[in-house]
Amino acid sequence: MDQIVEKPETLIGKPIPKPDAPDKVVGKTTYINDMVLPRMLIAKIKRTDRVHAKILSVDISEAEKVPGIVAIATAENSPKGLIGVLKDNPPLKGDKVRCIRDEIAGVAGETEEAVDEALNLIKVEYEDLPTVFDPEEALKDDAPLIHDNKPGNLSLTFDFDHGDIKKAEKDSDIVLEEKYELHYVTHTCMGPGCVIADFDTHGKLTIYTQTQYPYNYKMDLAPALDIPAGDIRVIQPPVGGAFGSKLDVYPFEPIAVYLAKKARRPVKLFFSREEEFIASPTRQPARVYIKQGAKKDGTITFRDVNVYLNNGGYTSWGATIPAVMMRTMTGHFRIPNVEFHSKAVYTNNPFAGSFRGYGNVQATYVTATLMDKMAEELGMNPIEFRLKNAQKPGERTPQNSLLKTAALADCIKIGAEKTDFLEKHTANVAAREKPGRIRQGIGIATSIHNAGGAKIHKSDGCGTILTMDDYGRATVITGASEIGQGIDAVITQLVSEELGIPTSDVIIANNDSAIGPWDVGVHASRTTFIAGNAARNAAVKAKHQILAAAARQSNVSADQLDLRGGHVVQKDNGVSVTKLDRLLRAMHFAGDDAELVMVSEYYEPPSELEDKNHVGDISAAYSHGAYITELEVDTLTGGVKLHKMTCVQDVGKVINKLGIEGQMEGGIAQGIGYGLSEELIIEEGIVKNPNFRDYKVVTAPEMPEIECHFIEDDEETGPFGAKGISELPCIIPGASIANAVYNAIGVRFDNPPITPEKIVRALHGDKVEAAE
Amino acid sequence: MSNIENYLAPSSIEDAAAALAAGPATIVAGGTDLMLQTGSGQKTYAPTLINIQKITEMRGISKDGDTIRIGALTTITDLLTDAIIAEHLPVLATMADKFASDQIRNASSIGGNICNASPAGDSIVPMLMYKAEVVLVASTGTRKVPLNEFFTGPGKSVIQENELLIGVDIAVPPAGFKGGFGKFGPRPALEIAMASVSVGGVVKDGVISDVRVAFGAVAPTPIRSAETEVALEGKKLDEETISAAGEVASSSVNPITDVRASDWYRRHLIRVMTEEILNDVS
Ligand SMILES: Cc1cc2nc3c(=O)[nH]c(=O)nc-3n(C[C@H](O)[C@H](O)[C@H](O)COP(=O)(O)OP(=O)(O)OC[C@H]3O[C@@H](n4cnc5c(N)ncnc54)[C@H](O)[C@@H]3O)c2cc1C
Repeated sequence: MDQIVEKPETLIGKPIPKPDAPDKVVGKTTYINDMVLPRMLIAKIKRTDRVHAKILSVDISEAEKVPGIVAIATAENSPKGLIGVLKDNPPLKGDKVRCIRDEIAGVAGETEEAVDEALNLIKVEYEDLPTVFDPEEALKDDAPLIHDNKPGNLSLTFDFDHGDIKKAEKDSDIVLEEKYELHYVTHTCMGPGCVIADFDTHGKLTIYTQTQYPYNYKMDLAPALDIPAGDIRVIQPPVGGAFGSKLDVYPFEPIAVYLAKKARRPVKLFFSREEEFIASPTRQPARVYIKQGAKKDGTITFRDVNVYLNNGGYTSWGATIPAVMMRTMTGHFRIPNVEFHSKAVYTNNPFAGSFRGYGNVQATYVTATLMDKMAEELGMNPIEFRLKNAQKPGERTPQNSLLKTAALADCIKIGAEKTDFLEKHTANVAAREKPGRIRQGIGIATSIHNAGGAKIHKSDGCGTILTMDDYGRATVITGASEIGQGIDAVITQLVSEELGIPTSDVIIANNDSAIGPWDVGVHASRTTFIAGNAARNAAVKAKHQILAAAARQSNVSADQLDLRGGHVVQKDNGVSVTKLDRLLRAMHFAGDDAELVMVSEYYEPPSELEDKNHVGDISAAYSHGAYITELEVDTLTGGVKLHKMTCVQDVGKVINKLGIEGQMEGGIAQGIGYGLSEELIIEEGIVKNPNFRDYKVVTAPEMPEIECHFIEDDEETGPFGAKGISELPCIIPGASIANAVYNAIGVRFDNPPITPEKIVRALHGDKVEAAE
Repeated sequence: MSNIENYLAPSSIEDAAAALAAGPATIVAGGTDLMLQTGSGQKTYAPTLINIQKITEMRGISKDGDTIRIGALTTITDLLTDAIIAEHLPVLATMADKFASDQIRNASSIGGNICNASPAGDSIVPMLMYKAEVVLVASTGTRKVPLNEFFTGPGKSVIQENELLIGVDIAVPPAGFKGGFGKFGPRPALEIAMASVSVGGVVKDGVISDVRVAFGAVAPTPIRSAETEVALEGKKLDEETISAAGEVASSSVNPITDVRASDWYRRHLIRVMTEEILNDVS
């Protein structure tokens, strides 16, 4: 009798647990920090205790004598190549130190105790140099020069102009001019920095790393090592978080390689938690001067933005964040005339890196609070003013981002409706006049982010190879890395869907650069979209090959066949033609006609590079979000309690329900931290709170109820209609909270985090001071 | 690098006292302070490490006549669930509910919290308010020290190298006694206090007497505030008294400014929490 295979429900939009989750939950996962190789040495770094000083001498003679010490690397005895986007960072410092993080020596030994003892015995003599910590101060003529070859302490600049802001200012009915001071935060990955370097006898390097961009990583690492990029094999064991902190090569990585080379043994170099706070990158702190005008009817006339980024001692990828910042500053809402200028400036602070949101967290804090300020100034409500300036479907931003749908307006409208925004907003303002300790607040913030990759390299592509074994299992070799964001689950789901096999029959291989095809890296919310498209296209190719073979075997043409539940079936009635594994074996063992299902796909998204004026549609799609926060403020202690965050998020299509909710919740926790509690306190270049006691990440009790509304309007270029959205959840909350706090107490904070003390000072500063 | 040469785990107070008499030793209870301090190099181990967790007689709460003994190994979690505490010393349970997280509460001992002598040690503040006495045992004998004479500075106390803190004694508060505890940090859980307050007294017909006021995190040690006590003693707990007491409380302290809070904010919090507790008990 014919076997009928019913058409299963689609997997798209269903909650699929991350395949790596159970091992992580039971403690079975071997993170890089847990790895041990035979004959492996332990290594650590001797860092400076100065923020700007000439190095007069480095004496390692006593340290070398410690029993168990095998190798010590210093600038003098190591390769001289540089790392960093501007190649301004020698992994080991020989002439001078420029920030507290600077590396003087790497020490490798048999035990951690021996290494610690040796580190204490390294003697460094310095001559202190004048310091500068403020980016605007550092630009002055008489400021101390941090790099001899960087006049004016200028690192990277970005400039964009569109229209005529001078004329627009004249034509404006109101103009607001504001200054924002955006702070240092850091990633607080659960797994601190760690790398293992190992040379084979041919001199080829295998590096086990936490990197989130394995292929370009080779290119960035090689110049520091005196070996060709092609001789580097990158292995990515499971990592405890990245969030953008692993988008660069940092000095500790080449230092581990120098030590492995000297010792001729594998070397594992790792950070303590304190070191992770001090020596891993931060989000870019920014001082933003912004001017915006509008007509009486609420039409925005212009925006003029000047940003100073505190670059710190060296330039990492983080200094390129204005590329993203600018998209929001110039193109979120219709802004007919706009200029954006940014300068990343060297100072003696620890250097900043890239961080989830990539400049958009800062841009959104500024623009979304400014939108509220301007609405109030105009006598409009925050919803009305935003809707007035939201773009229509098909509009292009000044930088030429094509907004295909009206998602922004939809997000705002739905958010306002779901929360009774206007009613509550008005009531809260009225309540401010009445006595009472606790004040309620509601606030909205919106933003935009690239959602179909971001063409910042010459290719924004991802390679994928898909093979099927004799048992009906698919192995997907993808260039996309899994750093916890859940791409393994997404690819599993997309491939299962196309091939009609259970998710448990999909195997993902993506942690070895010797096997995987090229990918630009995990950043820009791009993996679901780009690697998802690549995987899906590969699966479609495999499906064609399989159905063609099935058609040859049966009397049914390929277009009448489908894959379902591990069978090849007739599309219209579900009658099984053959079992998939049997067919695969028949294809494989067919003598002269033998074929293996083994396909490849390199997916390049339909997007363009920016021109010199930063004009270009860099992403195949853009996503909008509107997040509404409801909270209360204790006006006596300054404590803020979050009640609820209602998030309307334009996602194209939900692929993995669990995955997207995880991205939302995790991102929101980071966004709340940015707005309310997290700050790496840096005074005169020194990190004052390098620990979890005083660096306040958000914990479970502070998390509000989160209600997500996903707008699914099928992005035509996305895999099954999906967009990438993983950064917006951390981008929007800070500004949304700031606006809600204003609604509650009538005070603006242009210097997050909005700590209880800042709130109390704003509310009671005068009174209590007077009482003293 | 650790220089521990001997590890001992005595099962009686006597054995522990003998071990302490034998030479320099480090006591470990829950280790939730000690491990961090030795890990960061702030503190070094003595040659002998004494794990006191096996001295079962040092854990638990008992009542003998009018005196309640809280064994040094009693955990913060124990305080939350104990019937004697709930009946006679409820402010300790209030405190326990604001202490760290479940995991840390399960490991943290009262003795460790006291001996660590942190200006912000949470259990100390209500125990000062309850006029606790610590019981110290050495091989040479036992002595009792009032808790408000125990601390000499941050991380410092009058305990001698050869002494073991075996518990605290607290007299059952008089009839009509009411008290409270407040602690503020930006997070509701897992927070070190920016400031903490405990106030208690006998409240009868709206008048408060036998007043005790203690503050944490606003001086080199947790302190009693005599000035605030005087401002309240025998007064009717009305709005005026409460506000005046808040004023005295905040001006009686002289806290530092650090990464957690400014001196100004700490004083402000002292006032807010003092008034809040007084409003609750009035
Ligand atoms: C994440 C975290 C959160 C925390 N939150 C809080 C909090 O909210 N509030 C708070 O007050 N504290 C907090 N702490 C600090 C700590 O948990 C407490 O101080 C705890 O009570 C210490 O007890 P323990 O048994 O772990 O002491 P241990 O670390 O074992 O000992 C502390 C010190 O006391 C000495 N000692 C211990 N017992 C005795 C004894 N019987 N006789 C003589 N000396 C002794 C030890 O030698 C050591 O010097 C926190 C710690 C962590 C790691």
